[in-house]
Amino acid sequence: MTSRRTFMSAGAAVTLGAAHPILFAQASREPIRIGIVIPLTGATSQFGATMSKAAQIAAEEINAAGGINGRKVEVLIEDDQSNPEAAVRAARKLIDVDKVVAIGGSYASSVTSAIASLCWESKVVLATSSGADSITKLPHQGYIFRTSPTVTLQGTRVGELAVELGAKKMFFLGPQTPFAQSYIDIISGIFAKAGGSGSGLIYEDKKSSYRSEIDQALKAKPDVIVLGGYVPDTSVVLKDLYRAGFEGKRIGFSFGINQKLLEAVPAEVGEGAYSLVPSASVTAGAYKRLTAKMKVDALDSYSCQVYDHVQMVALALASAPKADANGTSVRDNLRNVTQQAGATVVDNVADGIKQLVSGGRINFDGASGPLEFADNGDVKGVFFRYEQIQKGKLVVTKVA
Amino acid sequence: MLADFIQHVANGLVMGAVVALPALGLTLIFSVLGFINFSIAALMTAGAYAGWLVNSHLHWPLLPVLLVAFLAAGVLGVVGDRLALVPMRRQVSAHTPLMVAIVSIALNLALENALRFGFGSDLNSFEIPIARDVQFAGIRVGPQQVHNLGIALSVAFVLAIFFTVTRVGKAMRAVADNPDLARLKGIDPARLSNLATFIGMGLAGIGGALLAIDTSVDPSTGSRLLLIIFSASVLGGLTSLSGAVLGALVIGVISEVALMAVSPVYQSATAFVAILLVLLVRPSGLFAGASGVRK
Amino acid sequence: MTSYLLFMATLAGIYAILSLGLVSIWGQGGMVNLGLVGFYAVGAYTSALLSQAGLPFGVTLLAGGFLAGAVGVALSYVTRPLRGDYLAIVSLGFAEVIRLVATNEKWLTGGSDGLASIRSPLKVELGALHPWFYLLLVWTIVAIAAFGLTRLMRSPYGRALRAVRDDEQVAAVAGKSVLQLKLKTFFIGAALTGVGGGIYAHLTSYIAPDGFVPLLTIYIFLAVTAGGYTRIIGAVVGSFSVVALLEGTRFIAAAIPGLNAVQVASLREFVIAASLIAIMQLKPEGFFGSKNQPSKGPSAPAPSATAGLAPSAASPVSGRA
Repeated sequence: MTSRRTFMSAGAAVTLGAAHPILFAQASREPIRIGIVIPLTGATSQFGATMSKAAQIAAEEINAAGGINGRKVEVLIEDDQSNPEAAVRAARKLIDVDKVVAIGGSYASSVTSAIASLCWESKVVLATSSGADSITKLPHQGYIFRTSPTVTLQGTRVGELAVELGAKKMFFLGPQTPFAQSYIDIISGIFAKAGGSGSGLIYEDKKSSYRSEIDQALKAKPDVIVLGGYVPDTSVVLKDLYRAGFEGKRIGFSFGINQKLLEAVPAEVGEGAYSLVPSASVTAGAYKRLTAKMKVDALDSYSCQVYDHVQMVALALASAPKADANGTSVRDNLRNVTQQAGATVVDNVADGIKQLVSGGRINFDGASGPLEFADNGDVKGVFFRYEQIQKGKLVVTKVA
Repeated sequence: MLADFIQHVANGLVMGAVVALPALGLTLIFSVLGFINFSIAALMTAGAYAGWLVNSHLHWPLLPVLLVAFLAAGVLGVVGDRLALVPMRRQVSAHTPLMVAIVSIALNLALENALRFGFGSDLNSFEIPIARDVQFAGIRVGPQQVHNLGIALSVAFVLAIFFTVTRVGKAMRAVADNPDLARLKGIDPARLSNLATFIGMGLAGIGGALLAIDTSVDPSTGSRLLLIIFSASVLGGLTSLSGAVLGALVIGVISEVALMAVSPVYQSATAFVAILLVLLVRPSGLFAGASGVRK
Repeated sequence: MTSYLLFMATLAGIYAILSLGLVSIWGQGGMVNLGLVGFYAVGAYTSALLSQAGLPFGVTLLAGGFLAGAVGVALSYVTRPLRGDYLAIVSLGFAEVIRLVATNEKWLTGGSDGLASIRSPLKVELGALHPWFYLLLVWTIVAIAAFGLTRLMRSPYGRALRAVRDDEQVAAVAGKSVLQLKLKTFFIGAALTGVGGGIYAHLTSYIAPDGFVPLLTIYIFLAVTAGGYTRIIGAVVGSFSVVALLEGTRFIAAAIPGLNAVQVASLREFVIAASLIAIMQLKPEGFFGSKNQPSKGPSAPAPSATAGLAPSAASPVSGRA
């Protein structure tokens, strides 16, 4: 039940680690370990709590279905503190001490970039929820699987939504991130093609008020403002936009406008704002099940992705019972369970395991999307949930 | 162009008002105790959480919320001080003030994580409705923000009276000016240090609650502004109470006006450069008092 | 497990180099420097960028160290009229500005994307032996730096520096060139920190502005204080202690039942912070104590001579309890 292992620690705070019972996970009853590196503290920690819960639920479901090839799955959660240096130490511990077969989670782009080479050099799969385009361009020999649509795709969809809503002038407000400038360029390009125009501004992310930045935005008289920030700064920008009496449309990304944001701002401040969330299809059972288990109305894409990371890695190993349970086996078999043509479509791990055990082939659709991976590791065919804040709740207007 | 400038100044005053009270607290503690107490950031957050608890669960309005924030932060500040910092100050060494400051950074980290342990990482909103801006003489002003500025100035004013009129206040000023002389006159610095910490951290708590009402409260609410608060205090002269408030407003205005010339991503860089320049001209800050006597 | 321990030992070596830098500037030189992580970043980015441009490892390391040292001298020169507390905010601000520049100047530093694929010397040739080689390399550099610093601090330069640390005015009157001593020391400390940054960049093959946060400065202060902030051997011992603390708390916090993930993480950071407080209270002189104990100011004798006297009479500092 507990997803944490208890160690015997020798000289607790002074020694570097604890004695590890078995160094090689080849014994048949040893659990299969999957590492999860997520931001539980630090600047990007808004989803840390839900991501960790989703990972644990994923493991529970697998174990309730009998485990993988008779072995239980254990998720080991480490905090990356929103900081690449801490992330590298955490990944080292997971890979070298815990002998994980894969690392999932990996939210912030700088964290992912920091641990990527360590993972592929150690032949451990890295399942990431980062969107920065550069990540799958690294020479990862197939060990990286990215479940989040790229920045380019997300920006394009947001731009198209804005045009669809009838806007002619766009202004982008966001903090400095690897993709801020790309968003400004992509969305302005879409507006230009539609006969409108767009511009933007990059601000500092820790401010308590964005009045001057909003003044500058309003000077451009936009009819839509695209918000590229995370929850803390987006909550301030939305409040300041409300104070300024901005009547136009506001569209944000799922890392900025989501359930956590709703808790951070009063209902009237967020009313009418749109969000685009990478998602599974409307009929997908995994998402509905996961939100029910986590007792929420809507779940952010990242927690769904972490859930999928755990399950797809486990299923990959389940499909190759004779192979060693290690990262290379995961890499070689993962696409066999997520995107095989003609295989039975399953949306839960119990059915998946049953099918595999009886010799069938499966096509696993997860909570975050249908999980089809291109050769470079990018995810294809992701749907988007179009959500709008209405009376203090996130309402899904369409899935496309 | 002029209207633009005035708008930026107005925005800067609003920004500065938020850090005025915490800067005042930091300066007060430095004046009486002689070291920078970095845990002020976490105590701002603690005050914000205390205020948020009574506002969201008991539906208390603004003024009682601020009172609760003041008391909670003040008490927690004294507890933290006695546990972590007093033993440090008892040590005798030429480097003690810096050591105590370093320990206060650790105390800050400990308190912030204690808050995270209890409340999680989520951002929480107060139930106080947000007011729209009004147009006043061609510039856009937020009534609540003006209100915050008013609160900050009123509190500073009350404090000023406290220090000039009451016996305890005068004793604290005496200790700040010259602790040995104060002791000769029968004033016990140890007792006063608790009061100074209580008031200073309490001010930070009010500041934190006001900030959280404007934005939201999460474990990092205070830490995001720590450097700006410290800068405001330094700019004001580190020992001048009115300097702290003025320093906060000046930093706010400089930062916002700088946006007219510099890219927004470098806003805090301009603040630091400005501080450096001011310190080079006046190494003890803007308002250290004509004869160097601390006020 | 071995790779993990190797990596941690290598990291301890890097922290040791940073600690040696801090011991020079603060312990021996008495100068406040809360901007450590800024010099670390300068060294890391310089070494990474030059090596991407094709220069060999040793050259890039030295260049990183030299540039960091030069920046240190410039900062120290410009801020020479400032007193300790004021210098603190300026040095903190300096580190923040470096981080801001690294985040926003994409053309130079890659921005928040960071710099990836930084090559490590002999990585391909040595294969599995590379971590051992790198460990040896780092600790050799630590040894050279420690040896050099020890010699330097025992020399007349060191004595003059400590005289300035203990009482600037007296030292100036005695004919010491105060400013020159301070600048030279700051150069040495900042350069060492920069070299540490370069070594880190080539160890992890990826650096990003997010990694250069003030928290790291706190860790180094912890390392130095735990070891004895004026002692060079203290820097080495303290660094191991800090890495042990950072990693050991991971295992301890994980062993406590019934907590959710965020609570485990915050408990761990709490323990780290509480340890710093405890060490500073219980052993403020560190494991190795101070050798060249500073006197407390012109009006007070050194503590060893006043062991029997009431401390409250000795110094103005104690009046603020």
